[in-house]
Amino acid sequence: MDNFKKKFIEEASEHIQDLEQALLELENNPTDKPLIERVFRAMHSLKGSGAMFGFEKISEFTHNLETVYDLVRNGEMQVSGDLLNITLTSVDHLQNLLKEEDNLSDTVLEQHKGLIEKIEEFIQVNTKSVIAISSNKGASDSATFKTYFILFQPNEDIMNNGTNPLFLLDELTSLGECIAIPILSKVPSLEDFDPNKCYAGWEIILATDAEINAITDVFIFVEDDCILDVNQICDFNVLNSPVFVEKIQELRVLDREIGLPQLKEIISNLSKPEVKQTSKNKEEKTTQTSKDSTISSIRVASDKLDQLMNLVSELVTTQARLALYAETDGSTELLAIAENVQKLSRQLRDNAFSIVLIPIENMLTRFQRLVRDLSRDLKKDVVFIAEGSETELDKTIIENLTDPLMHILRNSLDHGIELPELRKQKGKNPQGTILLKAFYSGANVIIQVFDDGSGIDPTFIRNKAIQKGLISPDAQMSKKEILDLVFIPGFSTASNITDVSGRGVGMDVVKRKIADIRGEVEIESDIDAGTTLTIKLPLTLSIIDGLLVKIEDVYHVIPLTVIDKIYAIEHTKVMKAFNNTVVLDGEQIPFFYLRNEFGLTEFTESPYEQIIVIRYEDKRVGLVVDTVIGEYQAVLKPLGKHYKKQEHISGATILGDGTIALVMDTNKAIKQFSNKLITVEEPK
Amino acid sequence: MKDGIALKINSYLTFKLGEEVFGANVSKVLNILEMTKITKVPKAPVYMKGVINLRGSVLPLIDTRIKFDMSETEYTTNTCILVLDIDMNGDSVHVGALVDSVQEVIEIEDSQISPPPSIGSKYRSEFIEGMAKIGDEFIMLLNMDLIFSANELSLLKESTGEVQLEEGEVKK
Repeated sequence: MDNFKKKFIEEASEHIQDLEQALLELENNPTDKPLIERVFRAMHSLKGSGAMFGFEKISEFTHNLETVYDLVRNGEMQVSGDLLNITLTSVDHLQNLLKEEDNLSDTVLEQHKGLIEKIEEFIQVNTKSVIAISSNKGASDSATFKTYFILFQPNEDIMNNGTNPLFLLDELTSLGECIAIPILSKVPSLEDFDPNKCYAGWEIILATDAEINAITDVFIFVEDDCILDVNQICDFNVLNSPVFVEKIQELRVLDREIGLPQLKEIISNLSKPEVKQTSKNKEEKTTQTSKDSTISSIRVASDKLDQLMNLVSELVTTQARLALYAETDGSTELLAIAENVQKLSRQLRDNAFSIVLIPIENMLTRFQRLVRDLSRDLKKDVVFIAEGSETELDKTIIENLTDPLMHILRNSLDHGIELPELRKQKGKNPQGTILLKAFYSGANVIIQVFDDGSGIDPTFIRNKAIQKGLISPDAQMSKKEILDLVFIPGFSTASNITDVSGRGVGMDVVKRKIADIRGEVEIESDIDAGTTLTIKLPLTLSIIDGLLVKIEDVYHVIPLTVIDKIYAIEHTKVMKAFNNTVVLDGEQIPFFYLRNEFGLTEFTESPYEQIIVIRYEDKRVGLVVDTVIGEYQAVLKPLGKHYKKQEHISGATILGDGTIALVMDTNKAIKQFSNKLITVEEPK
Repeated sequence: MKDGIALKINSYLTFKLGEEVFGANVSKVLNILEMTKITKVPKAPVYMKGVINLRGSVLPLIDTRIKFDMSETEYTTNTCILVLDIDMNGDSVHVGALVDSVQEVIEIEDSQISPPPSIGSKYRSEFIEGMAKIGDEFIMLLNMDLIFSANELSLLKESTGEVQLEEGEVKK
């Protein structure tokens, strides 16, 4: 049973998330019908599945909420700020209910009661004017009753999902008057009877004023596990007719399925004018079936995806071995096959990658909510804009990115954006803006968070750093270097500590968390113009296209995306180079002799070496290696904790012949090499 | 000790570094490999020998002799790699340990194990779980978790400079 609960919790959190998002959108478009529908649907699903899995508190609670939005849906109530506030708090409460499950703490229970009261109050205040309307409606009620015939034949293993078909029937009964006739023809003899299986089906005649959608909604969770056929048989309440009910009871004794045609016959005998209706029914039926057949997406457990990624990685490694073998073997046929396998595995790899990529949109709802609530608490007027929400990232990156981004946003809200009055004084729009921008840049995804707040004062940071003893008072630092100080552990810029931010564990944690996913973060700020934080992230964590090079007897892989050009260079030119720069194509390029950097002796095998020119920040930098082997698809494997300090290597990969090649992180490598230059110079 | 289960297994794998015999609880040893091709990682500490390919995954390799302040391992036909499962700050980490030769697996009852000598030992006592006398030989039972997750270069007692001198002489 735990399994079902887990599944429910997973589903419910998705519904809650969807609900939250829809509500936030609703705030901007309070009259948008489809949005209201979406809100309602999410609530309804929550209620239904909550009841089915024994989460009564959730179900009871959403029922109340649903009532409110039913009024909204029917145009009897307007979406207002108050309503959204209550609903959003309710959403939080639902999350708590879901988290704590059975052992609810007293505070949550109290909140539960309080919220329900609030909601009920809300309904009462807002429905006074509505009573008149609904009583009007009441008069026409009997006329809007329709009778449906529902064939519900669950699959034998429906109970494996924890679904009890009888609950569904109960829910149907709540919609209106209903007769359910079981179909028992499939029930086997006692010896073959498996108590875990459901052999029965039902023919249900339902008279209700609800729409056909309300009926199919009842079955929304079992759609795939049953044969369901809903047909309107006439547009009045046929169950009011004693003749009809009698007829049905008669048929029931026969213990045979009644079936739609027979039912229609009975009805048409009852009253002639209904004949027309049957042709209409057919149309309805065809639209119903065509709706079911298309599935645009499926849900897959994430560990299955991880497994797929692992297998793809293994395949790529094995393919490299095959390619190597084919080349040494020399058989043209084998070479052709190997090439084909290479092409296929590359496609498969790209495909598998795109599966684990998810748009950053998934985390934006949370941010939107954060900005909305926090700006209210801080009495600031802030609008949150997200651009490029369709930008996709590896799901593990997204998972690890949410926390640091939350922190950045909190900082922007708390310290960045000023109070409206102050903004007016400064001649700015009283409404502040936080802009989150995501876009692709080469092999990276860049996420920028920009706020038009007060910005960071470099002199303030400088003084604080001096006061904390982080820098010496006479240190010569550029503005960028000063701003970078905020990333040092223990440096919190908030002069007074608030519960929002400023506990001294600020930007350094952000930086570390982003570094954990191989990302980098930079800060730019101008006083009174605002602050921009730029986060640079790798697209994926597991496979990269690289260039295989050799230094002494060790193979290295340099990511292809950073490589600009490769030149052959005379060894003597490298050794005699002044200030470690060479002129290539008329441009002066600084370079690093990797053998030197790695503490190896000079290269002697050949008078020529290769210089690989790569892009580093906005400059071009050369790396000198012994030889270039060729392009290589590298499956990244971690080097392990023991090599955590060797930052210039981001991982290792296994070559076709089983040897290991090291994958270089050129950004960090160059940073390391150039830092070393500075520290060497300083003692002088 | 935290790993009560590991202590219940009384089998120890003995191995040699130079002439000294050491024991590692078998629950820590996953595998014994023959020497294989090592890929050096540049700019790493000396005791980090490099990485090897262990059936498709990358295994960091530590020169145990350097950790014990002996000279770098010379590769012979007896040189082996112990694949260890180390508890590193709560995470299970796999690491390879180069040793001169592997001896045997023996049963040592708790009663046969005496606490590490606090005086006269070259090594810091927290790295040694106990001493056992088997026949004429003393076997040092090692705390593999601590030894192979520690970042220090050497396991020697820092205070006893005299012992280090002795070691230096042995090197020559």
